[in-house]
Amino acid sequence: MRPLTPQRILGICALLCGVLFVVCVVSLRMGAYPISVRDIVSTLFNVATGRREEIPVEFWQVVFGLRLPRIALGILVGASLSTAGAGFQALLRNPLADPYVLGVSSGAALGAIISLIVAPHTVGAIQLAAFVGAASTITAVYFLGRRGGQLDSPTLLLAGIVAASFLSAIIMFLLTMVTGSELRSIAFWLMGDLTAPPPTTNVLGWLGFLFFVFIVAAGAMYTTSSDLNLILTGEQEAKHLGVNVNRVKFVVYIAASVLTGLAVSVSGAIGYVGLLVPHVMRMLFGTDYRMLIPTAAIGGAIAIVLADTLARTVMAPTELPVGAMTALAGAPVFIYLMRRRMR
Amino acid sequence: MWRPASLYSRGFFVGRKFTRALGQVFCMIYLLAFCGAMQAAAAAPHQTPGLKRAMKFVTDETGRRVAIPFSVQRIVTLAPDLTETVYALGLGDKLAADTTFCDTPPAAKLKPHIGAPQTPSLEAIVAMHPDLVLATTSINRPETADALLRLGISVYTSDPHTVRGMLDSIARMADLMGANEQGMALVTQLQARLDAVHARLAELPLVHVLFVVWEDPLITIGQNTFIADALRWAGAESVIVADQNWPQVSMEEIVRLQPEYILFTGNHSESNGDNELNRLRTRPGWKALKAIEMGHVIRVDDEITKPSPGLVGAIEQIARELHPDVFSSGARGESFELQDGMMTGVVASIWQKRERDFCAL
Amino acid sequence: MSSGGGAVTLSQPILPGGNANLRLKVEQASYAYAATDRSAPTFTLGPASFEARQRELVAILGPNASGKSTMLKLLAGLLKPLSGRIEVDGTEVSELDLKVRAQKIALVSQESELLFPLRVWEYVLQGRYPYGRRLRFESDEDCLLAGNALAQVGADALRDRWMDQLSGGEKQRVILARALAQQPSLLLLDEPTQHLDIGGKVELLRRLRRLADENRYTVIVVTHELNLAAEFSDRIVLVHKGKFPRIGTPAEVYERGLLEEVFEAPLEVETGYSGRPRVILRATH
Repeated sequence: MRPLTPQRILGICALLCGVLFVVCVVSLRMGAYPISVRDIVSTLFNVATGRREEIPVEFWQVVFGLRLPRIALGILVGASLSTAGAGFQALLRNPLADPYVLGVSSGAALGAIISLIVAPHTVGAIQLAAFVGAASTITAVYFLGRRGGQLDSPTLLLAGIVAASFLSAIIMFLLTMVTGSELRSIAFWLMGDLTAPPPTTNVLGWLGFLFFVFIVAAGAMYTTSSDLNLILTGEQEAKHLGVNVNRVKFVVYIAASVLTGLAVSVSGAIGYVGLLVPHVMRMLFGTDYRMLIPTAAIGGAIAIVLADTLARTVMAPTELPVGAMTALAGAPVFIYLMRRRMR
Repeated sequence: MWRPASLYSRGFFVGRKFTRALGQVFCMIYLLAFCGAMQAAAAAPHQTPGLKRAMKFVTDETGRRVAIPFSVQRIVTLAPDLTETVYALGLGDKLAADTTFCDTPPAAKLKPHIGAPQTPSLEAIVAMHPDLVLATTSINRPETADALLRLGISVYTSDPHTVRGMLDSIARMADLMGANEQGMALVTQLQARLDAVHARLAELPLVHVLFVVWEDPLITIGQNTFIADALRWAGAESVIVADQNWPQVSMEEIVRLQPEYILFTGNHSESNGDNELNRLRTRPGWKALKAIEMGHVIRVDDEITKPSPGLVGAIEQIARELHPDVFSSGARGESFELQDGMMTGVVASIWQKRERDFCAL
Repeated sequence: MSSGGGAVTLSQPILPGGNANLRLKVEQASYAYAATDRSAPTFTLGPASFEARQRELVAILGPNASGKSTMLKLLAGLLKPLSGRIEVDGTEVSELDLKVRAQKIALVSQESELLFPLRVWEYVLQGRYPYGRRLRFESDEDCLLAGNALAQVGADALRDRWMDQLSGGEKQRVILARALAQQPSLLLLDEPTQHLDIGGKVELLRRLRRLADENRYTVIVVTHELNLAAEFSDRIVLVHKGKFPRIGTPAEVYERGLLEEVFEAPLEVETGYSGRPRVILRATH
């Protein structure tokens, strides 16, 4: 009997962080502009010692203006989506649940599309509108998904699917009404795009804010991880063991939806990550949610950074959208997972 | 509150001092690198790189205010029509890179590529050290221009909706790139050709045509596109009046409206219109059109889709085919299509000599 | 015997130490529910009074739809009685905090619908949830107690197996072990013999009997199995359409007329091999 300990969790997280670090370094290295690891190290050294003028301008532009923000955003989005996916799989008692099944991404997409039509060049409009769309959908689905005043998993799932289809229909309608250039922007946004400009020039502050929201939401979900383990063996049984099931469901619903809304608002709907990363992490490290939530978060970050790097380099100089890459890689992984479950 | 390792001595990561120490060291490195990167990012220079040079501020056609250096030596274009324009102005040598789709003139294919017009590699563009990047709203995404501007690279975006607008655009871009004289000359030339066509067609009623962008589903042009404007210059008018740029229409509507001519765009190589006609004669809906019956199908040069100098040639071609009696005098000598990758012949011959006299501006 | 309020309690055994062993005390508890809030109650569970002590196995016996399961829910604190009190270890059950209630009462479920693969020891360890903070990591003591629970049901060998690879009987033992890991004062089971064959039924009840005798649990079993109840329980609480006609030892409760009235079947009561009453079908037509 080897119960889970905090040391074990931290150890595995450290390992995964190491992998993430290596992936980030590789990602920094790759691209049209030639950069070697030595350059990166010497740049950091120059920055640390205050000799900024010695760094070539293009290097700065490419590394800090283009690649690092992308990588940082990718880490954030990947972590958010995977954590949300793990949460929804527990909440809805369905291994096929992904962060978008409750319609949050459709709501965010609708918000983004409306903002692209109405105010195409306003800085920050698209993220704000997307988040407002996501928040409205979360609220609506919450009220639709209740039964007897409490969140009921099957009802919630149905409510989410209905909301998603309805919103998608509106989106389709808008797409036919829209003229040429917005259509392109919308299509790319929908596919998932990590290069979207931040709403402020203070990139660091923006990333910090996003990260803060992530920590709060993921942290809230983590506090319920013991409860989730029990709920997964049956809701009634969990109740008899003293779990406040309604409260846990509410917290997980809000936390996972906020995470999804966050990810979709900044980068569009990148698919498969929220669905598959939790399953892969379960296969590797077990189904205990106290371990799953942190490992899924880091695993998701690794997946997105990898996918983004591939999207940038596979068909250079053309850049594929990240969502295309995750779908291409995700489908075979999904098939493999399904076959393993059958056995 | 953590229990000792006794019960978990068979654990994978715990209980081995070396692994733990290694993990801790790794965490430290990671944390330091992270902090370093964050600090560097926070201190990134916000000023544009070219401020050491003299810059002028212009407002481009999308309303953005951009700083463009007085001396433009390296140009990157993000669309095929822009590449054409650059070559037409005689600035082919200054073109540092273009897109993978730029094939007119053929010399453009040999330039380094920075990706597709809609998904260019920002890094590749940066690596080219451009003084000026040209973009257009007709095919590029505004996000690309935004991203480049944020990096401090000068981007000029053109927004052509009419043929005259396109000519103004060419003139402005020529001015920005220090080719003012060539620009004026080219524009004057093109305007003259357009006026000539217009003069012949002034009295005649507009021919009703259907411009087919895509067959299945049937997509045609809206009235706000420059293609529609070009058609008007060629004495034609689309039977479909729509506000959207690329409206999808039903075949029934077309059958009801019975356009006099059907216009398709095609590759440079495909010149056989007969095969196309026979194929259409067999398709349901299409065979109900009188235009198909009478063989009034025109294959238009691809240039009609691009707001570039070659557009004028396409206008002339359409005008000729729609009003053959008016243009019977074999007006070929007046126009020159961009075949065989020739630069616009007239302009080139007049201005090549002049170019040698100009220093690089 | 005379009936006051419908419930007759016979021969309450008085053990040495008196009320120190008293685990469960039901005092005139009653309940009722109706189709809607405003209509008259369609079903009332009459006032009942009985007790259960350490080492006792009490069977709540009655035909289907007699209100047995509702009684169990009242005992578990899932429903609040309309009148009277239900006390476990001296405190009113429905007022207990969720976790404290889980420390005192373990309701053993029938099935376990697991979504993701889980090992037996992980499953049993979950029974320790009521003890400790919400986000907790199991301590050595937890592991020890979980191990004990597995041993008590004789499932020690199953420790490292996957839950979804267990047979039905093994799974039930493991589910029972998880309930035992809660270290409850009261062990409640709702018709646990439903899907078992006769061998399984006997084995389960023997195990429950052993748990009561050797490990000092107080077991309350809801059932309609007349003979099993008679054979294994110390006391029977007879339920009939929400009323409690008789509460007492099997010998006291198993009276032919009473049973025929309650179960609406031609029955005959005789004495079995062990000395306890045995019920057989008198006629088939």
